Amino acid sequence: MIKQLLALLFILNPAVIFADGVTFEMSAPNAVETGQQFRLSFSLNKEGGNLRLPDLSNFEILMGPSKSESSSTQIINGQVTHSVTYSYIYILRAKNEGTFEIRPATIEVDGAVYESNSLKIQVVKGRTPQQPQQDNPPEGGAADVGKEDLFVRVALSKSSVYRGEQLLATVKLYAEPDLPIQGFEEVNLPEYEGFYSQDIDMPQQISFTREVYNDRIYKVGVLKKTILFPQQNGTITINPFSLTCLVRQQVGPRSFFDDFFSSYRTARARITSEPVSLQVRDLPSAPAGFTGAVGNFSVNASLSNTHVSTNDAVTLEVKVNGSGNIRLIRNPELELPSDFEVYDPRSTENIRTTDNGMSGTKTFEYLFQPRFEGDYTIPQIHFSYFNPASGQFVTKSTPEFELHVSKGDEEQSATVVSSLRKEDVQLIGQDIRFIKQNHTKLRQRGYTFFGTTGFYAMYGGGALAFLIVFMVYRKKARENANLVLMRNKKANRIAKKRLKEAAGFMKNNQDEQFYESILKAFWGYLSDKLGIEVAILNRERAVEELNNRKVTRALIDDFVKVIEQCEFARYAPSGGSKARHDLYKQAASVMSKMESQIKR
Amino acid sequence: MRIVHTILGIVLILPVFGQIDKMKTADSLYTAEKYQEAVALYEEVLQEGKESAELYFNLGNAYFKTGDINHAILNFERARLLDPNDEDIAFNLQVANQYVVTSVEPLPQPFFARWSNAVINLNSADSWGRISLIAFFCFLVFLGLFLFAKSAGIKRFSFILGILSIVISLFAFSFASKQQSKIRNRNHAIVFCPRVTVKSSPSENGTDLFLIYEGVKVEITDSLDVWKEVKLLDGNLGWLKDSCIVRI
Repeated sequence: MIKQLLALLFILNPAVIFADGVTFEMSAPNAVETGQQFRLSFSLNKEGGNLRLPDLSNFEILMGPSKSESSSTQIINGQVTHSVTYSYIYILRAKNEGTFEIRPATIEVDGAVYESNSLKIQVVKGRTPQQPQQDNPPEGGAADVGKEDLFVRVALSKSSVYRGEQLLATVKLYAEPDLPIQGFEEVNLPEYEGFYSQDIDMPQQISFTREVYNDRIYKVGVLKKTILFPQQNGTITINPFSLTCLVRQQVGPRSFFDDFFSSYRTARARITSEPVSLQVRDLPSAPAGFTGAVGNFSVNASLSNTHVSTNDAVTLEVKVNGSGNIRLIRNPELELPSDFEVYDPRSTENIRTTDNGMSGTKTFEYLFQPRFEGDYTIPQIHFSYFNPASGQFVTKSTPEFELHVSKGDEEQSATVVSSLRKEDVQLIGQDIRFIKQNHTKLRQRGYTFFGTTGFYAMYGGGALAFLIVFMVYRKKARENANLVLMRNKKANRIAKKRLKEAAGFMKNNQDEQFYESILKAFWGYLSDKLGIEVAILNRERAVEELNNRKVTRALIDDFVKVIEQCEFARYAPSGGSKARHDLYKQAASVMSKMESQIKR
Repeated sequence: MRIVHTILGIVLILPVFGQIDKMKTADSLYTAEKYQEAVALYEEVLQEGKESAELYFNLGNAYFKTGDINHAILNFERARLLDPNDEDIAFNLQVANQYVVTSVEPLPQPFFARWSNAVINLNSADSWGRISLIAFFCFLVFLGLFLFAKSAGIKRFSFILGILSIVISLFAFSFASKQQSKIRNRNHAIVFCPRVTVKSSPSENGTDLFLIYEGVKVEITDSLDVWKEVKLLDGNLGWLKDSCIVRI
């Protein structure tokens, strides 16, 4: 934070730099030939003095120092910026081949001593300048440039990698330092088939640096830098590519004057690169949790909230940080409780691509909603990656989280849950049902009780039992019927006998016995005739039964009258023998009429 | 004398107990996921000529777990023959049939055939026989009531119920005999050859009609020497060698 503030301050007020910062820089080409002159220059943004050169015993100082001063004034939005640059230039010549280090130079500014940077200069053997054959310059076509003088190549930072391991591919243009290159045409930069590639941003302008290649000094321009991730095993070849360079060439002198008015023309040189091949090794067998990451990573996770109510959204953020094929990492598996509503994970990337490769952060967001209350555990995520440096898989785990889900608001849950409680049973897998474990009825193969003799015998037995029961019952019924008939037949005789008895009592004037025997005769008779026990027979019952048997009204009335007279007379004897005689006669007639009517 | 009887009784009963014990052991082997051993033990019980729907069902399960789908289907079908209305058997058979390569679309049956099949398959032969017997006894009771009852109401009531029970008894009897004929005839089979060409005639030179894969259920309609005429559920008819099929 403080750094940022400071930086802001610097930007806002450039005068600060001017006041404080003293920059003292030394610069020289990094590769020269023996016998060639070159410049060693120092630049200082403040006036200084007493420049002390480092040891330059390997070089000859041909000239110097030549001191120059340049100043510039800028007015931007009213801010006036004034800058002055002092430079000291030496002309040197290399004496011997080899790589030499130039130690820092020192200079005094306002009494303080400042040190410059140090440099390394590679000195290669100087070539004998060859005379270009410019006798017959081609008319307008191809440039006459040797293959050694101008070429392109793809430089790979590694020649053997694991699948998915990143490497840097640089497309470089090598040119003879004196060759004036004006531009390019038909640039077909290589297509990296079999790779996942990520270009590194390059400035539009190509800046040339000096580089030694095959013991020669070239000016080298970097056309393109790409981070490559091989996606297949075996040997991958980067196919040749080509481009056309526009080279300014002098048209050969024809006369003396032409030297002064020499004409130049632009020639086209088509150059093609050599194919480059790369060995890609397969990864060893991957552990669980490997999601394609190759490089060097760290992982951490955070849960947005550990105490939530049902149906609240919870986010688990998993951050993978490091360098490698970070774009190609798939989201790690997260095993959540199955009744959570889980949404597809989202991933965001924050990635820098530099010469050192691709690095940055990839964030996976797992969004889910717990549906039911309870305490849940969000399990660890095991993130495995392949570390090409060690050639081994590394597994890193996120911490485990406890999630406490409490019941949500009543209203909310009432409206939401009504539709949610009715979840279908989630079929996770299908399997056959478990074996049965009640073994009671093992039987002979092919045996069925149906159709056996025993089976049919049961039908027969049932029918037989029925027949027996039927016969017995019928016989009994018949016997019963006979008994009733007998009593019926006897009834009249017994009644007559009783009446005769009554007649005997009448003669002897035994009143009480007379009436009683008449009543007995009637009740006994009706009991036998109607099939009702004497004990439960009374006048009402008798009248009812007689009515049922269709006995005439008059006869029933007579019968009632006789009974009434008898019962009355039993308790209050009255009347003479005449009355008794009449009663007897009437009883006898009722009896005989009844006999004929009940008989049917 | 009594001792001899007891010994005889033990000797007669022992095998049954032994078989039940064997099945219990096989069950625990199955539970312990030793399916091969369970299969061997179940088969041993079958070798002794005993069978039950549960035995076939468990054996089918064990075969299924060992990955032998053909045998699993065969035993599930056998179990279903003995207990046609068991839900577990039907379910496992359906699961096993999902592994069969040939998919056979059964011919649509008229509604009455479907209904009658559904009703007949509600019970096994013995259950139908028992129902028939009970209904017959009911009929006898109602007949008695009808004959001896004095009240006209009871007479009418027992008459109707009596007719009903004798009809039920007759139907149940016919269903029972149908189920029994299924068990007796066993004219269905499972194809065991991984891939078999069905011919138009019972000879190697017959025209190739169609190709079926293992696990398919076929109905045997005719036979000649080693050749069997089979009918698929979708109505296709052809001849194949009986070494390729196993009767259910």
